[in-house]
Amino acid sequence: MAELLNHDVWTAGDLLSRLERRDKFFVLDVRNRDEFERFRLEGRSPVPAVNVPYFEMLELGGKDDMLDSVVAYVERDLADQLPSDLPILAVCAKGDTSEFVAQGLSCLGYASANLNGGMKTWGEYYATRAVVEAPDLAIYQVGRPARGCLSYMVASAGKAIVIDPLRHLHPYLGLARESSLTIEAVIDTHGHADHISGGVALATATGASYYLHPYDAIHPIDVLPATIPYEFIRDGQTFPLGRHELEALHIPGHTLGLVAFRIDDRYLFTGDSIFIRSIARPDLGGKAETWAPLHHRSLRRLLDLPGEITVLPGHFSSLDEADETGRFAALLNDLKKRNDGLVVLQRESEEGFVRYLLESLPKFIPEYVDIKRVNAGLLTPAEEDAATLELGKNVCALSQAYAISEGVRR
Amino acid sequence: MSQVFDKLLDARGLNCPMPLVNARKEIGKLDLGQVLKVVATDRGSVADFQGWAKVAKNVELVGQETESAEGANVYVHYVKRTA
Repeated sequence: MAELLNHDVWTAGDLLSRLERRDKFFVLDVRNRDEFERFRLEGRSPVPAVNVPYFEMLELGGKDDMLDSVVAYVERDLADQLPSDLPILAVCAKGDTSEFVAQGLSCLGYASANLNGGMKTWGEYYATRAVVEAPDLAIYQVGRPARGCLSYMVASAGKAIVIDPLRHLHPYLGLARESSLTIEAVIDTHGHADHISGGVALATATGASYYLHPYDAIHPIDVLPATIPYEFIRDGQTFPLGRHELEALHIPGHTLGLVAFRIDDRYLFTGDSIFIRSIARPDLGGKAETWAPLHHRSLRRLLDLPGEITVLPGHFSSLDEADETGRFAALLNDLKKRNDGLVVLQRESEEGFVRYLLESLPKFIPEYVDIKRVNAGLLTPAEEDAATLELGKNVCALSQAYAISEGVRR
Repeated sequence: MSQVFDKLLDARGLNCPMPLVNARKEIGKLDLGQVLKVVATDRGSVADFQGWAKVAKNVELVGQETESAEGANVYVHYVKRTA
């Protein structure tokens, strides 16, 4: 067995910093081909990568030992595909196998690193950024960068409301503890399809009430009522928070019960309606033709809000949608000029816009039907199954949002 | 439905890539036509054994089973040496 040589270890946090800085590096991903296709590392700029499943390296390298096989395989079959002037990040599912790969690369003289914890840890990594942090109002954007999911903790006078909490509770509980905040309400803007909500669990853990619009407490495909405990949200309802309040705007389209929240004319939590680069798809309930006109009407309603309101979306499709500080936020007026969907919305009639929506639907993700069941309490997966259901980046936006990252893959 | 086998490899508790690395070594010690039963707790081993059997010229994956024991899944792979 070769000697243990020095290679770097990157945590998920290190990886995010490098992706945000557009550092140049190369990825050698040793997962199965379908895992690689479903969930890849993506940055502000394309990340060049090659995929060779580790069992191919082992078999074709032909040695009894994994490290020796990596060295033999890379030297003979892969060297011409690896850059000699970039660091090479070895990536696998959980970070154990890629450790051998990073070691093998290091033995061969490459500057190599292992992604600690692999794609599982990256997929479950949370980044928290303050959008505003004033004495009377703080808004924290809590995101999962690998999945493109965004949630929010809004705080004023020692109280907090959490909007769209994601599956793991530690970011919210940690933030509440550090900032001495009491979580008073937990709200889902809608019944999510792409990720498992942490809403009910967070409400249970903190003693807060959990809120959902009742239309989203019915699984749209099963047509079965949710079994989770929840309080109704209605259009126009206000949630007081210190010196401020959140006002609910029922904006059906992506789901029937989708609700946006505004704080005065300053902040608008759009959930899955307006994102930064694009808008939400109307088909995840299986009723695209029926829901598309609702989506049109709801987006029009949002467009009529003051242009100086800051849009805080529920998702992003690419890290490139963040501003220079890594936050996913933009003025509505700004989005009217550069958001693909809003540009079409302002140009087209209802008929033309509905046609645009229906022509822009990305592939339907079969797992999303089950995720909606989980969020309604109709299905309870084990931890490992929950992680598998959520694997990969969300696909909640229209297909244009993905065209750029798809384009560079080929 | 249990498959007939000639040798048992216990890879429970081992993380990727060790179940496959060890199975590959054991296969080399079998006679042609003999079957190795591998018992693993690493869920990824299911797809990995399928992928490996396609690449390796001397093995055939003759069966896979998932058994539940006390809430934990055990993944069983039957691999035959063919060359």
